[in-house]
Amino acid sequence: MRTEENNGVPGEDIRIGVYVCMCGGNISDVIDVDRVAAAVGEIAGVTLAKVHPFMCSDPGQQTITEDIKTQKLNRVVVASCSPFLHELTFRTAVGRGGLNPYLYEHVNIREQGSWSHKDDPDGATIKAIRLIAAAIGKLRYAEPLEQIQISNFRRALVIGGGIAGMRSAVDLGKRGIEVLLVEKEPSLGGWVKEWEEIYPTGGKGAELIRRLNEELERLNEVTVLKGVRVSDLSGFVGNYNVTLENAGAGDEAELREVLGNAPYRAQAGAIIVAAGFEPYKPRAGEFGYESFPGVVTLPEFIEGLSEMQIHPEGRIFWRGRTVGSVAFIHCVGSRQIEGVHEKQDDGKINDYCSRTCCTAIVRNAALIRERFPGVHVYDFYQDIRTYGRGHEEIYTSAANTGVTFLRYHGEQPPVVEKGADGALLVRCNDRLTFGEEIEAAVDMVVLGVGMTPGAVGKVSEVLKLPVGADRFLQEVHPKLRPVEVSVNGVFLAGTAQGPMNIEEAFSAAGAAAAKASILLNNSTVQLDPFKANVDDESCIGCERCLSECVYTGALVMKEAKGTDGSTCRKAVVNPGLCVGCGACVAVCPTRAIYVNGWTLSQYEAMVDGLLNAPREGARIENA
Amino acid sequence: MSSEAFIPKILVPATVSCAYPGADAVGKAHLKYPTNIDIIRVPSPVMFPEDFYLGCFMKGIDGILIAGCGSDCPFEGAYTKLTKRIDGLVKKMRAGGLEIERLRLTAICTVCVKAFLKEVNQLNDKVKALGPVNRDVARVLWEASLREIREGIETETANE
Repeated sequence: MRTEENNGVPGEDIRIGVYVCMCGGNISDVIDVDRVAAAVGEIAGVTLAKVHPFMCSDPGQQTITEDIKTQKLNRVVVASCSPFLHELTFRTAVGRGGLNPYLYEHVNIREQGSWSHKDDPDGATIKAIRLIAAAIGKLRYAEPLEQIQISNFRRALVIGGGIAGMRSAVDLGKRGIEVLLVEKEPSLGGWVKEWEEIYPTGGKGAELIRRLNEELERLNEVTVLKGVRVSDLSGFVGNYNVTLENAGAGDEAELREVLGNAPYRAQAGAIIVAAGFEPYKPRAGEFGYESFPGVVTLPEFIEGLSEMQIHPEGRIFWRGRTVGSVAFIHCVGSRQIEGVHEKQDDGKINDYCSRTCCTAIVRNAALIRERFPGVHVYDFYQDIRTYGRGHEEIYTSAANTGVTFLRYHGEQPPVVEKGADGALLVRCNDRLTFGEEIEAAVDMVVLGVGMTPGAVGKVSEVLKLPVGADRFLQEVHPKLRPVEVSVNGVFLAGTAQGPMNIEEAFSAAGAAAAKASILLNNSTVQLDPFKANVDDESCIGCERCLSECVYTGALVMKEAKGTDGSTCRKAVVNPGLCVGCGACVAVCPTRAIYVNGWTLSQYEAMVDGLLNAPREGARIENA
Repeated sequence: MSSEAFIPKILVPATVSCAYPGADAVGKAHLKYPTNIDIIRVPSPVMFPEDFYLGCFMKGIDGILIAGCGSDCPFEGAYTKLTKRIDGLVKKMRAGGLEIERLRLTAICTVCVKAFLKEVNQLNDKVKALGPVNRDVARVLWEASLREIREGIETETANE
């Protein structure tokens, strides 16, 4: 890759192509992209500057690959969205064009441009020019880099043995990939195995789990460890080292058989996080929960359903309670509003929709009406979101069985009070009757609680997995990379990522397994080359860098021959162990040590670019 | 130029793991901050020697917000080292007559949009009030810091 042509020295023979993305208006509605292209076209070394409606589209990427060939570009800049979205896309496109992929710079003019500066289009435009000028400055000092090849341990660790974890394990096992599936509970199946009925297909959750379990047991590739949890984790993509501990229900003999003596250690190249969810637990007093008998959560209600008996008068017994009327309340612990709902322990509110509760609530409301037509059922909702194939029918059936729907406003949730004779009173301002104050006397109130993230614990802590504002694990991109996280080799399956129904959790788990297979099908993994590097000629062997580096073995001294033939010592980097933090860089008196792709000269050139950027220009080439 | 018309040049080196995605989150939430705030990505600001910051001031950067990861730093020991370096640099700036308010180290997490906005706006206001950086004063400090880091070579040569 290192050729005379693309490894030009600063200012010499550099041919830079700059592409300014409009992002279908996301950028160009604020930033004057034509002015940006014209201005950066004035900067020395820029061969062409183009504007494109969607650089990430196939035609957009093709423009780059073609220009590299026809215009003999040897450096490329794309100004578009955040580098977390498309830096890799364009780097790959640059590679396809025959250029070293690291002779590419990504400029963020959307998240840190148009979206942050809507009220100042002129300022945002000039800022975009400055940022591109900085990238051009950085590219002048860019060197072609090669990815680092590391051997890959071809086994997947699946954390969590609910439906998502089981599905991922089955899919991986069927592809011949070794899997270690760990579950902290004594049995597999998570929440789903508890459920009396799953929607809209019907049947018990346990049946679904039984079928998955049968598949699992047929696969020699899959090792299941129950009653254990991850106690420690280290390493990186292709080379994770995990330590497991008995979570109380683990079989020590089995653990020893599989992993040897304690501490129980295992290696894995990829990790699938399928840690699941926890049902929202209402605060004491929230809608009368734990204050009044007869106020229960939906999971508690369903649990009692199997033992529910018919009363001679057409009423029902629910755990000793005679029930002639039931009220369901939607969105308990979901879609909370700042200032209306009390904050959770961490000071946040659950403002997200839990997505699965509506179907569960209306199905159970309908079920009561079908089985016990004498029982009155009230459904207090703010919006009905029974989305998905077959779910609308459940809503319709609830309406047809005679469930009484009442609609409250999110800012005015229903109030549960104690009524006469041990009854409960639910009061609500009903929007369906244009604001009528309605009072329903009922024997039971069922709270439609949503989902909260399950405990990911040590894994999240050690790997620093990104978490969204809703506290669920966050993917790289909701559409383009929905089961990947920003940590290489870690994938998300199921409700650890956010509220999902079984179908969605299955799809996510299948996708996570597919992504993990792509990784584990290779005997090596490629790591980014952004590691420390030493210029032998300028290294004076002072060892200052050595005392800064805390990563054992990442930086060592070696004997070398000096220019006069005498023996001297030079610093050497082990790129497999170096993390690329640059602690060594700051203390080097000769700037002999640097981090590939992020050198101090590059940063200084960026600052020069920011300060000396043109504001206008004449040259423009439209794509 | 009247003091109202002065728009400072603010540089924000932001960490790849925390502050840079934090700044992205501000954009995703469509929240606003002034356009004179320029963010550059950095694996960890621990790689910058003192002379880098002083060089920025010398070239005309009026304020620098080092937006790091704080205790969330993915690199062992890097944040402590960074804090120590910035403490030392601030002392030198104070002694050399460069307003220490122009340099600030803070931690911004990946979703800390409010903290990001508060920090950039505060620094912007402070630097606006201070006026443009005195590049000559910065140059003297920059030259001194370069001499200091290069002492390593001189000591080495003297030992041989």
